[in-house]
Amino acid sequence: MKMKGFFLPVLLVSLSALAQAQAAAPKPPVPKSDAQKAFEQLKTLAGTWDAKVSVTPPMPDMDTGKPSQVTLRVTSRGNALVHEMSEIDAPADPTKYDHPVTMLYLDSDKLTLIHYCDAGNRPRMTARASEDGKTVEFDFVDISGSTKYGHMHHAVFTLVDANHHMEDWTYMMPGDKPIHAHFDLKRADVVTGTK
Amino acid sequence: MDREWNDNQPIYRQVRDRVVAMILDGVLKEGDPLPSVRNVAAEYRVNPLTVLKGYQELVEERLVESRRGLGMFVNSGARSLLLQGERQKFLGEEWPRVYATIQRLGLKAEELLRDGGGRPESSETGDAAGEPSSDAAKERD
Repeated sequence: MKMKGFFLPVLLVSLSALAQAQAAAPKPPVPKSDAQKAFEQLKTLAGTWDAKVSVTPPMPDMDTGKPSQVTLRVTSRGNALVHEMSEIDAPADPTKYDHPVTMLYLDSDKLTLIHYCDAGNRPRMTARASEDGKTVEFDFVDISGSTKYGHMHHAVFTLVDANHHMEDWTYMMPGDKPIHAHFDLKRADVVTGTK
Repeated sequence: MDREWNDNQPIYRQVRDRVVAMILDGVLKEGDPLPSVRNVAAEYRVNPLTVLKGYQELVEERLVESRRGLGMFVNSGARSLLLQGERQKFLGEEWPRVYATIQRLGLKAEELLRDGGGRPESSETGDAAGEPSSDAAKERD
């Protein structure tokens, strides 16, 4: 009986110590899904970018004049990435100027993009990343709103380095005729130091 | 081109409509190049893709043609094609409403045609409710 009275407290102390040790031990990191990795990758693009734009069908004089501008902003405590296109010097007045907005976010295990188009619709696309993670391609899933005036149909983000990336946007005109714009973007914050 | 955009339709449709107006007004003649996508985008602060969308509609309507590496040019016959389309659009969509208003107000042909269809005589100024029109009020001011 005396031995039993001795061992029980010792056993309890040992179990408690073991439990504390386990709690203190670092948990093995949960591996990130491909969608999470791609989203983290795209979030590194946050900032202001100057874009040289070329289009298909090809048009001349695309290199003349001021570049277009793209801004990307991480928001909602990291849960969303806002992408906005505009022309340099255009006032941020959405009632008068062309500011197409795109939101990117994780929807369970899918990296999702919704483009808010001035054509009055909202196409939804989901991403697939390349093996090296440098290219994230968004395929059309579905759309809400009218497609009377066509809709954005496809998007590709290609990361070159910290200060250079490319975007390819395909718009489907009424009658399913695609037109395409290629944006070659250099980080404006670096060039102008205005971040 | 007018720099203001309205909220009634997408900007690319308005780009299309403005080019159409320029063709109808003779500002752009058959064989003329359209202003470059880049210039229109920069000057009117719209996305280049938006301008291209507007131009592409004109290609679909066979009003302009795309010449590889050179840009887009007003097609021959574009103005008459447009006039035909715009006349049909007016007669089919706008004229019934205008005609109904004319009937409602009891306007006569000679009143409508006076001074090029402009304003009514001073004693008759005002709308059906008897209120002076804003034009007439401005004139008095």
